[in-house]
Parts: sequence; C-alpha cells; structure tokens
Amino acid sequence: FTAVLLAVRFYALCRLVSEIPEVCKTEDCCLGIDEAGRGPVLGPMVYGICFCPLSKKEELKDMKVADSKTLTEAERENLFEKLVEAKSYVGWALQILSPNTISTCMLRRTKYNLNALSHDTAIDLVQYALDSGVQLKEIYVDTVGPADKYEVKLSQRFPGIQVTVRPKADSLFPVVSAASICAKVARDRVVKGWNFAEDLGEVDTDYGSGYPNDPKTKAWLLKYLDPVFGYPQFVRFSWSTAQTLMDSKAVNVHWDDDEEDGEKAAQRQNNKSMLSYFSVSSGGNNQNATHQAHRFFTERRLKSLNTL
Amino acid sequence: MATKKKRTSNVDNDSWVVIAPDSAIDTHKHDGDPVFVRLRNPSTDEPKADAASLYMLGCGDVMLYEVKAFEDDFHSWFVGQAVQRDGRLIFVTPLDPLFLILPYLIKSGKEGKFQRVDQVVKDEEFPACSRLLSCARTLASLHHIAEEKEAGSQMYHRYSQEKTMNWLKKKVERMVIALKKRNISVGEGVKSSTYVRVKSETENQEEDFLRYSHGLISEYISEDLSKALLTLLGLPELTSPKETEPPSKKRKLSDKPVEAGEDYTKFNSADFARKPPKKMTAAQKSLAKVDKTGMKPMSSFFSPKVKAEKK
Amino acid sequence: MSCNSSVIRLCASSVGQAPQAPVHLMPCEIEHNGPAQVNQYFTATTKDQKQDKSVSFRGRGLKGQKISCPQGYTGLVLKEINKPGSDQEDRTVKVSSVFDKMTYWNLETPPNSDDTIVMAMDWPDLAEAIHAPVED
Repeated sequence: FTAVLLAVRFYALCRLVSEIPEVCKTEDCCLGIDEAGRGPVLGPMVYGICFCPLSKKEELKDMKVADSKTLTEAERENLFEKLVEAKSYVGWALQILSPNTISTCMLRRTKYNLNALSHDTAIDLVQYALDSGVQLKEIYVDTVGPADKYEVKLSQRFPGIQVTVRPKADSLFPVVSAASICAKVARDRVVKGWNFAEDLGEVDTDYGSGYPNDPKTKAWLLKYLDPVFGYPQFVRFSWSTAQTLMDSKAVNVHWDDDEEDGEKAAQRQNNKSMLSYFSVSSGGNNQNATHQAHRFFTERRLKSLNTL
Repeated sequence: MATKKKRTSNVDNDSWVVIAPDSAIDTHKHDGDPVFVRLRNPSTDEPKADAASLYMLGCGDVMLYEVKAFEDDFHSWFVGQAVQRDGRLIFVTPLDPLFLILPYLIKSGKEGKFQRVDQVVKDEEFPACSRLLSCARTLASLHHIAEEKEAGSQMYHRYSQEKTMNWLKKKVERMVIALKKRNISVGEGVKSSTYVRVKSETENQEEDFLRYSHGLISEYISEDLSKALLTLLGLPELTSPKETEPPSKKRKLSDKPVEAGEDYTKFNSADFARKPPKKMTAAQKSLAKVDKTGMKPMSSFFSPKVKAEKK
Repeated sequence: MSCNSSVIRLCASSVGQAPQAPVHLMPCEIEHNGPAQVNQYFTATTKDQKQDKSVSFRGRGLKGQKISCPQGYTGLVLKEINKPGSDQEDRTVKVSSVFDKMTYWNLETPPNSDDTIVMAMDWPDLAEAIHAPVED
C-alpha cells in the first residue's frame, strides 16, 4: 500500500482502490464518504469511500472505528490494517487531490471552488463503486458545507439510493468513520513520504500539521519561500496563508485576469488592446495619435520602437 | 485571482529578447558592429518630435533593418536561470532603404532640380540618415524613385512621382502573391471563419488582398503617397462627407466591399470605379444583417455609413 | 534632438561566446529582473505530452509549446553593458545568450495557431516580401 501511495504524487488526480468484495456485489450495501486534509496549506486532500453490506454494519461497529480526528496516528494505522484485513466484506477507494490540483482549480480563470471540487470528487467515487457493481442502497456523507443542498444534489444524482448528509457524520456512522480513517491514513502517508517534484535537494520535512496556525508549518513556509516561484507544488497557493506570505516576501506577479490591474493596464496601454480601436486620440502615446498601424501589426501585437 | 497589487514601472531594464536575421550578426564579416540608430519614420509626414523610429544598420552600414516589438500585456521571460521582466520579443527584419530615402527626395523634389543625393539625404534631427547612402541597395535602386543624370563622374537625382508610384505598385502586386502564398488572413477585420460573407469569395478576396497589401506598404510611405497609390490601384477611396469619419489611414481598416473582378488590374479603368454597386438580393440583405451582429470587426465601429451604402 | 544622434552598438563578436539558453515566454508579468531558480522549480516540474507541455506557476495552470525561430533567424538575448549617464552618449549591448527555439506559455488555454506570438512569427517572412528589391 505504501508503495502505491509513493507513486501518487506524480499524478494530479490519483485513485487508490481495494478489491471489491464479492458480497458487496450481491447484497445491499451502505457507503460512507469522508475527506482528510481539507484545511492544511500543505499537501493533498484525500477523499475516501468505504462500503460494506448492510448486514455487516454491526461487525464494522465492533471494530471500534471512530472519527479519525479522535484517534492517534497509531490507532488509525491499526484500524486501517483491520479494515484491510476485513477485505471479504469491506471495500474502499481513495481519491487524492494533489495540492497542485487544488491550487490550479481554485485559482482558475473561472473559479472552481473547494466545495465544488469536493462534491465532484465524492460523486466520482460513488460512481466508481456503482460501476464496480456494488449494490448501493445507503450513502452517508460527512460535510463541512450546507448539508441540505448537498443531500439534494447527491439524491438527484443517485436516484434510488438513500442519501444522508450530516455534519460530524464521521462520528455518527461507522461506515463514515471507516472512510475517514482510510482518507486520513492516506493523507498522512502521502505527506510524510512527499517526494518534491522540484529539484530542491534535501528538504526539511518538519512541516508540522500543515495547518496554517501551526508554528512549525509557519516556519517551514518562511524557510521555503522562493522570491520568484513562491513555493514548491506541495503548498496550496490558493490558501490565504501562502498568498499573504508571497505578497509580502516574494516579487509581484501580474496576470491578465487580475481584475483591477488588468483594467488599469488596458486604459494605460490602450494601443495594445481592443480599446485602441475606439480611442485613437486619447492617451499620451504620440505614435498612436498620429498613426494607426495596419491590422497585420495590431493583430500580431507588433509595434515600432523608438528606443531599446 | 484578483489581486490588488499595483504594477510598478520597469525602470532598470537592461536586457532584451530579440529575433534577428543570421546575416545581421554574422561575425565572419569584419565590417564593424551593427548599430541601432534612430531615423525618421517615413510614414510620418510632418517633421515632428515623434517621427523617430528605431532601425539597425549592419555589415558596415550595408544592410538596413527595421526594429519592431511583439508587445502583449502581462508577459515576462525566463532566460536561462533568470527572469527578464520585459516580455517583449523584438524582431529585427530587413528594410528597403528606399522607403527611408523617399521623404528626403520628395522634399527636395519640390525644387524641381537634379541634385546630389548626399546633399538631399541630410537631416539635422537625424544625423544618421546619411548612412542610408552606404546601404548596398540604396544607390543601385534610386532609379526606382528618381530620374538620374550623370555629369562628369557625378550622379544627380530628381524625385519622380511616376517612377515611385510604379515602384510602389510593383511592391503591392508582389505582396498580393506573398500574402496568398503564406495564407495570411486578409478577410475583413476578423477571421473569415467567424462571420458569414455576403459577397462571393473570389469577388471579395482579390480586393481584400489588394487592399491589405496596399495597407502594409502604406506603413512605409506618407499618407499622400498612400492615397495616390490607392488611386493608381483603382481602389476607390472609402469616402464619406461626415466629419466623424476617421482619416484614410484608419479607414483602410474598413475595406468597403465594392464590385471587383478577379483581375484587379481592371480597377485602373475609371469607368469601372464609378459603376454602381451590385444590387443585393433579399437573401443577401438578410445575410448582411447576420453579418453585422455575428462579427465584430473594427469597421462596424468606424464606418456605419459604408454599411448603409450597400443597400 | 541630440538623443537621435546617439547609437546603440551591438557587440557582434559576443555572439561567438554566448551560450544557448532556454527561453520561456510567460503569460504574466513578473516584477523582477535577475536570477531565478528556473531549472529547479519550473523545468523540473514541466510535464511533456507530445508537443504539449503543462506546468504551474504560482499555483496557476499553464499550457505551452515550443516554437522555432523563423528560418534564417536567430534568437538573441541582448544585455546592456556600461550604461552611460546621459542619453546623448552611445550605448553598447552584447549578446548574453542565444536560442533557436523558445517555449511560450498560455494561462490555462492550450496553445493554438491563433496565439498572438505564433502569428507574430509570420512577420520576418512577410517583411522579406515587403522589402526585397523590386526588379526593373
């Protein structure tokens, strides 16, 4: 399992799966969904599903699975091993969203926020279970966003399946607890074994919890701030913690969709934008005022120079 | 990400990314280093402070080059292990020296005398202009734009409008071929795939190519010459009594479709130019409406009158 | 108008010593002139899929492709040396590196033939057509 996890960092989107227990294809099943690593500024976010026949609910409960946050790392590892051992009736699947995926999605021109990303990932995983032949009858989901809307969305998407979206579902439903343990264990292992794609030599792995308020995480973010590139892809650039540090300590970078910036630039450099076609006489560019270049040049953003 | 960071100005820029002809930087020739010089841009008519553009002389002034920059907002370069904030890409390309000589010859031609070119191509404002006479092609090609007379061992020149127009016309005709060969999109304003054409392809295309070529050549000549060349090519000027019409340099963007045969030399006939535009069928009219909404060429903003005339 | 009399000399002999350098045209303005760990952060994380490349910069997804200099042309990076104090003195630039291919990057959009930089590469060829001598 660790070997598989070590390979994941190279893929933007990675799925790890158990074998599908045969009994899950013949008996009605319940499925729990939970996530790990939503808050940290470092590392991936992991989505987990866990499923078993409705008839095995008690056995899952007897395993003493609980909300992963109430358990120590050792307890989680231990419980995960138990879940793996129960492979005759427990199945699971994990979707790992790399920090780079999170950054580039959240910072996209047309924003793709974390909730949407989470929902889509959960839906993908449920669909995977269905496609694998799991006889799903009940779905239990832990959520941080508004539960009602999410419940409606999932119910519509998966008609005929009873969907329960609940805050703290991971402490209420054993199958969600099991999913949370799988997700958390995976997230911890990926973070611990993170292999930087950047060529940074030995990297200090003492990043703490990865939560923005952890002093170790803060110190790490200060230490590994590059003035031009900001951070390695291990860091979620879309987190305000990272943004704030880059704003104060890295060089400024401007994109054409930085709203305020872009508008001003368009006004100032009106000979470079579509605006130039309408406001030939405005602006202080002399060349522009006397001569409108042929569209061969304007279309190609080519202009004469008068000095280097 | 909508950041609110102010952009500072790039004051300490000291490096440039350039694309230049191999010939310009041929180190085997020891004719002295190439130099960037400022010369009078021939498309500016009046002596103005902003008439200067950057050019390059290479191979001991034998070759003349134009310097243009690709400049799109929000760009920077990585060069090796460094950032260059200035995201321009500078193109150094060959330039026909006659274009830069022409304004000087025209000016002196008003006196009607044959003169020595070294007496003519002089400019207090742009002292480097005399170096244009060292360009290999300059003296050998002056006959395209001037009458020549030899007296003793000395050559004398006098500007010839007729020769110049002929020379420019040849340039335009050659451009048409070059544009076709390179598949440059010369259709009106926007890419032809994004709007529906009203007139037949061939009818329009020949004129599109001709006007486009004329427009490109006009980048290197005065507005007066540009107009005269348009007439010579038999392309009607896109006139309008309205003051709101932009001057001709801009109007050429609008390229009003007129009836055109495949052979554009027919334009030389004055009768042809006066022929009324072909009547549009109802279907064409409705297409014309689609045309206007579906596309967004600059022309629609500049010359609504032209559109109306078609009906 | 004395500024028009000053020239910028291009030290052509520097071409011989100039190293090949990879150049990337970035779809953002980076307020910096100077060293950067391009290989370590950027090149190392670039993914190649046939011609198409992808990478991220400051958390934003970029898509890029390599394009060649037009035939008969060379890419040069010029650097000013001994910047003079006044605009009336001549200036000197040297070639600090050369390139025959460059990579340009779009913010999220896959590279295509409508990209302005690709279209701009039409220019040298067309310039030759405009400016070649006219035969008699």
